[in-house]
Amino acid sequence: MLPSLNFRRVVLVGVAGVAMGAGLGCKAEEKRAVDPTTAAFEEFAKLVDGYIKLRKPLVDSVGQLDPTKSQPEIAARSTALANAIIAARSQAKPGDIFTPEVATILATLIKEEYRRRSESVQETREDQQDELPDFVPRVNQVYPPTYPLATFPPTLLPLLPALPDALEYRLVQHYLVLRDVEANVIIDVMPNALPT
Amino acid sequence: MKPLPRVAGGAALCAAMCAAMCAPALSAQEIVLPRKDGSVRFLVMGDDGTGDREQYEVANQMVRFASRFPFPFAIMLGDNIYGSERPQDYDKKFLRPYKALLDAGVEFNAALGNHDDPNQRYFKPFNLGGNRYRTFKKGNVRFFVIDSNYLDPEQVKWLEKELSASGSDWKIAYFHHPLYTTARRGPEVELRAVLEPLFVKHGVDVVFTGHEHIYERMNPQKGIYYFTVGGAAKLRKGDTRPGALIAARYDRDRSFLIAEIAGDSLYFQAVSRKGAVVDKGVIARREAR
Repeated sequence: MLPSLNFRRVVLVGVAGVAMGAGLGCKAEEKRAVDPTTAAFEEFAKLVDGYIKLRKPLVDSVGQLDPTKSQPEIAARSTALANAIIAARSQAKPGDIFTPEVATILATLIKEEYRRRSESVQETREDQQDELPDFVPRVNQVYPPTYPLATFPPTLLPLLPALPDALEYRLVQHYLVLRDVEANVIIDVMPNALPT
Repeated sequence: MKPLPRVAGGAALCAAMCAAMCAPALSAQEIVLPRKDGSVRFLVMGDDGTGDREQYEVANQMVRFASRFPFPFAIMLGDNIYGSERPQDYDKKFLRPYKALLDAGVEFNAALGNHDDPNQRYFKPFNLGGNRYRTFKKGNVRFFVIDSNYLDPEQVKWLEKELSASGSDWKIAYFHHPLYTTARRGPEVELRAVLEPLFVKHGVDVVFTGHEHIYERMNPQKGIYYFTVGGAAKLRKGDTRPGALIAARYDRDRSFLIAEIAGDSLYFQAVSRKGAVVDKGVIARREAR
């Protein structure tokens, strides 16, 4: 198993500990200290699940993808799905899925993980971003198709809540982005996710 | 350019390619690979999907080599389609430059790069079968296609399972980002931390990557041969550095690589856009060393 999984547990407990405040009794504190993170991630999972439920009839309406489709069909289906998702979530705003509680925990997790990494890793991560033009990701924005997708740090991924196949995390500038893979639509953004 | 005849594999493939060898105006450099019967032959190309003149020139050189060295399949190391990915871009950046090879029946097996829309996995000619990562076998060689853009725990688990289940003689992994390189952006040390232990544990022999727009062959690292073949269209001239890590490098022009596996030996030649062989050699299978 990846060592970073252990790190996640340590950080999660640490983050939760900070969130709960110091000075509580040891045993009771341990039990209660994990709860805010667990609760926040459970809420996050519910919101993600809600998105998938909203998405399912839209996917049904545009049809499933498979490798027998031609490129015009693939492109048309992606656009149709994107338009349907954007229309169905026209009121969506930042923080709908990355709620403030989740964002606080994730930001701490990510920043702690960055601090733990060597200088060479930090440089690699900066280089991964250097091909990205200066665009600010927005909810319901189609991820600009002419821009590359920055490689997601593989040692950071196991620390974040797992996502269904339809969604993925991406980093754009200092934002953590939740992206619908097949529709290429930005579903939520979390600013200041990365250390400056 | 005269189109290559369609090939079906085996004897038919040889016959078809032999016919093409007789075609006029073929000016590729001499090939000294063993070209043994029953060997596994393939082409390696990375970072090719620009649609620019240079991509077409490299593609033409591939066709010239194909006429002398028939290969039934190619592996693509990512950045298969740069920039916009409209249907006409697939024409301009893939279907047209490689038309002669596609018409000849060459099967392209793509990995995804950081410039690639993951929906490329549904594009039939890339043979990803709707998956971001996959494995396939050719003769005595097992290939592992990895999505290095998004190496999530699920993919790592899959890779470990497939590697441990593989009883093949040769194990070749390929993906976009180099674990070792001297190029400006440097190696992907985080990817290396995750992938290299799996490669070492399960006896991966060779790793092909792209991303850096140059050609490099590293001295074996923990018993594994690493190649960067990322110059099939783009070029970062002068971007490699000499050093103890590096066995061969070429950064003066675009390039690709041809390979042949016969028994315990992998023969390779790196070829420039002009058709010059800029590196060549033989690698022994890990278990046979």
